[in-house]
Amino acid sequence: MLSVKGLRANVGEKEILKGLDLEIGPGEIHAIMGPNGAGKSTLSHVLSGREGYAVTAGTATFHGQDLLSLEPEARAQLGLFLAFQYPVELPGVNNTYFLKAALNSIRKARGEPELDAVSFLRLIKDKLKILHLDDSLLKRAVNAGFSGGEKKRNEIFQMALLEPKLAILDETDSGLDIDALRVVADGVNALRSPERSMIVVTHYQRLLDYIQPDYVHVLAQGRIIRSGGKELALELEEKGYGWIDAAEQAA
Amino acid sequence: MTGAAANFAGWLAADGGRPDAAGPDWLTARRHDALARLGELEVPTSRQEGWRYTSLKALLEQGFVRGDAPLAALQPDALQRILIPGLDSHRILLVNGRYTPAGSAPGDLPKGVRVGGLRDLLAQDPDALRERLNRVAGTEQSLFAALNTASLDDGLVLLLDRAVCLERPIELIHLSVGQDAPRVAQPRHLILLEDGAQATLIERYLSLDDALYCTNAVLELSLGRDAVLKHERIQMESRNAFHLTTLYLAQDAGSRYQGVNIGLGATWSRTELLTRFRGEQAECDLQGLYLAGDRQLMDYHLDVEHGVPRCTSRENFKGILYGKGRAVFDGRVLVARDAQKTDAAMSNRNLMLSASAEVDTKPQLEIHADDVKCSHGTTVGQIEPERLFYLRSRGIPAPVARRMLCLGFAGEIIETLSSEALREQVSEQVGQRLESAPLS
Repeated sequence: MLSVKGLRANVGEKEILKGLDLEIGPGEIHAIMGPNGAGKSTLSHVLSGREGYAVTAGTATFHGQDLLSLEPEARAQLGLFLAFQYPVELPGVNNTYFLKAALNSIRKARGEPELDAVSFLRLIKDKLKILHLDDSLLKRAVNAGFSGGEKKRNEIFQMALLEPKLAILDETDSGLDIDALRVVADGVNALRSPERSMIVVTHYQRLLDYIQPDYVHVLAQGRIIRSGGKELALELEEKGYGWIDAAEQAA
Repeated sequence: MTGAAANFAGWLAADGGRPDAAGPDWLTARRHDALARLGELEVPTSRQEGWRYTSLKALLEQGFVRGDAPLAALQPDALQRILIPGLDSHRILLVNGRYTPAGSAPGDLPKGVRVGGLRDLLAQDPDALRERLNRVAGTEQSLFAALNTASLDDGLVLLLDRAVCLERPIELIHLSVGQDAPRVAQPRHLILLEDGAQATLIERYLSLDDALYCTNAVLELSLGRDAVLKHERIQMESRNAFHLTTLYLAQDAGSRYQGVNIGLGATWSRTELLTRFRGEQAECDLQGLYLAGDRQLMDYHLDVEHGVPRCTSRENFKGILYGKGRAVFDGRVLVARDAQKTDAAMSNRNLMLSASAEVDTKPQLEIHADDVKCSHGTTVGQIEPERLFYLRSRGIPAPVARRMLCLGFAGEIIETLSSEALREQVSEQVGQRLESAPLS
């Protein structure tokens, strides 16, 4: 469903992604691990269409479409979702209103009828139940004044509502204590399905205790340098990232 | 006629506005005094601080003349078009500055409340307002207030006796309908709350078409001890109109004034809010929201005078500018030497949606006391790309996302309106305006 080939991307003059390949099939969960500065966030941002990155080579195909030529909203309408490492605060924009606008924009783009207020609220309630969340976040402005844990929960809630085909979780574990991490991971697990793929981007193995990946990739210096099963994550945890530098030097 | 009076001869000429027009003798004398003051005043130029960024040229060129304020026959559906569904109010309608009983619906009013047209009240009870009118405004009036006083004829009167509380809001609708020539209406509104009285006043300036006209409104508001007034002003004049408001407010000890000023309409709009405290521990809260697009000027002048100790004031104005829109915010808080323990905070934030929009913002604190808490801040910025990307990453198209962020910015002020129906209407209007805004 997602096929990334030879992707190279710059931030300013500096090349961050240096020929990245990644193949993701339906329902698969891929973890992407790597040290700081490896290009993990750049990959998330380039795939979701954030400004400030220049793709210089390579392709990313999502459901047969050239992902990189699409506006960010078109990518989301196609079924891509980015759970932000740092969810953005939108003071004055009510969370429920925001969620409804997002869902209906996506439905409209797909030629589905927009949901009215009543059906929307019913849907929201169902989703809250699945994730074991209460509705206190809904009445507030989007992420404004939310704690770190609340922000991440709100990301997962949006994901539950928008039902993406591919979700990219960008360092969702950063800044979370163990309880908050468990709540978020439980939410993600509740959303696993044969039709939904996920890319879990993380620095630490810890998150993968809760979200079991099918594949683990090591991203270093802008490329995937190793891929394997979930045992690779444990190996990384044990050895740290030091060996990568050594391996790079040797190569 | 000499001085500024000569430049505005047309505003003073017709029947109702002549200084020797109908009304009690004391009123005639006041009009003459104002005319004399106009003779001494000159038309302000950009050399004067308060008019540095705002030119009167366009207004003078229109050659507005005062109408005889005829009671224009309203189209039967006109009223339906201007009422806000769900807003349950005591309604007073002024058409082209003149109180119009046909469209008014004051409803049942509790004892101790007088609401109605100024001219009517003077006809019934000529001395009722003798000690009240022109009192808060004083005699040292600025040009447009003096013009209004020289033409003083009609407007809203709202008088609340001691400790009277009005549950439902008073809604003043000032409707302008197109006429044969560019007309000026100069309503004078007098709002007096005696000690402990409480009320909400919604004031709306509207038009049914895109006619060219001018409104020059003057308000005098007086709050007795511990009185509470919520005052929500919605300027939605025709896009070709000129609008002026001069608002004088005086507050006794312990009183609370909560003002919200929403500016959406007119091609040229200037609002002066002049407030002062007459007693301690009074609070004055001025919120504002303005939108300015092509061919549009929104000009606000605040003059908040802390002359006595222990009073609180808040001035919080936000603006959204697009196209070639222009705005001016000139806010001044004066804290006199004796006004210890003053708590004042002024803020003006502007969101610029285009490179050709312009705002001149100038908050000033003038502090002569040494034990006070005062602050001011001003920002001029654009939509943050981070926020825009966040919304777009959720599938929301860029133009809709921009509008959501603008409405979020405006929401802080719209939220301060007391009625849900009014909040909805203003949000919708702001949304519609932004929909037509060129976003570059």
